[in-house]
Amino acid sequence: MDSKESENIAVTDAKAAAKGKAAEGAHPTADVAMKTKTQTRRGSKKGLAIVDLVLRLGASSAAVAAAYSPLSSEQILPFFTQFLQFHAEYNDLPTFTFFVVANAIAVGYIGLSMPFSIVCIIRPRAIGPRLLLVFCDTVMIALVVAAAGASSAIMYLAHNGNLDSNWLAICMQYTNFCQGLSGAVVASFVAAVFFMLLVVNSTFALKK
Amino acid sequence: MKGAAAAIELGESKIGSTPRSGVNRGAAILDFILRIIAFLGTLVSAIAMGTTRERLPFFTQFLQFRAEYNDLPTFTFFVVANSIVCAYLMFSLALSIFHIIRSNAKNSRIILIFFDTGMLALLTAGASAATAIVYLAHKGNAKANWFPICQQFNSFCERISGSLIGSFVAIVIFVLLILMSAAALSRR
Repeated sequence: MDSKESENIAVTDAKAAAKGKAAEGAHPTADVAMKTKTQTRRGSKKGLAIVDLVLRLGASSAAVAAAYSPLSSEQILPFFTQFLQFHAEYNDLPTFTFFVVANAIAVGYIGLSMPFSIVCIIRPRAIGPRLLLVFCDTVMIALVVAAAGASSAIMYLAHNGNLDSNWLAICMQYTNFCQGLSGAVVASFVAAVFFMLLVVNSTFALKK
Repeated sequence: MKGAAAAIELGESKIGSTPRSGVNRGAAILDFILRIIAFLGTLVSAIAMGTTRERLPFFTQFLQFRAEYNDLPTFTFFVVANSIVCAYLMFSLALSIFHIIRSNAKNSRIILIFFDTGMLALLTAGASAATAIVYLAHKGNAKANWFPICQQFNSFCERISGSLIGSFVAIVIFVLLILMSAAALSRR
């Protein structure tokens, strides 16, 4: 009875050992597969984080151009009277004051968001910084597009005027001034496109 | 028993995934409600602006003083932008319902974020352009010789100013929608 029992136990142990060996043999393969998958995902996330940084630099340069251009575009007409000098500056139109401020805020924000973008390159799986960036980038889209939209409405009016409301086109006189401001509006829309790409890029990075 | 053990080993136990699924479903329901509010906001804005007109009680032999939204191209753009966003929101409700049913869907959320971002930009451009013109109509600009027209067309100006509110509400909702979708994507 004892010998039979011991034989039985031995057989069971042998079976278990064989099973264990098989399992052990299978484990490293699964481990390698998991590791490779994780590394690939990590690599792609790192790539997206680098793209994020590049897009931020692009948005920054466009926003700087948009903020600086109106500041430097003033025009004084060559004729004047005893009391009047025909002189156009960006802050003659309140919309353009808002435009410059909004783009300056965007530039400042990009400067502050750079460290977070670098953190996302170093730690590609970090979620907190990415979510913060998505939220702030979305707010920046709204701000920059609002500034660009309002300014483009005023620029359209400055170029074409409006007969129904008796608002005359001023760009026939102040051609250089209008060109400078139109360029700034275009640069602002480019910055907005960069911000939109940033949101989409971050979305792909957040996807597991 | 073996299956359960394997599931636990792979990290697929139901106990762990239910709360996350519940949070995602709650977010999807909130998403749906916010979309309906934004839809109504843009619809009201488009209708309010599109039906705005005022005729002054005095006229000459050849002139009649009348103001309509399409006298200013910016307002036409505002109405078109709001109509496009309104239509998009109506179609996106289907995806929102899909997210309530399948709260762990990923790709459809990315599509939604992509289009939400585009619509946010379009709506913001329309609303801000209209706001700039409304400001000009109220205050004018002495340096550019643009006189305020709201001193004559009082009810016209009140109506166009009011129509901007719905648009700005929708803009705020879009920002929240994008953030919520991003949070749902990141939830592990």
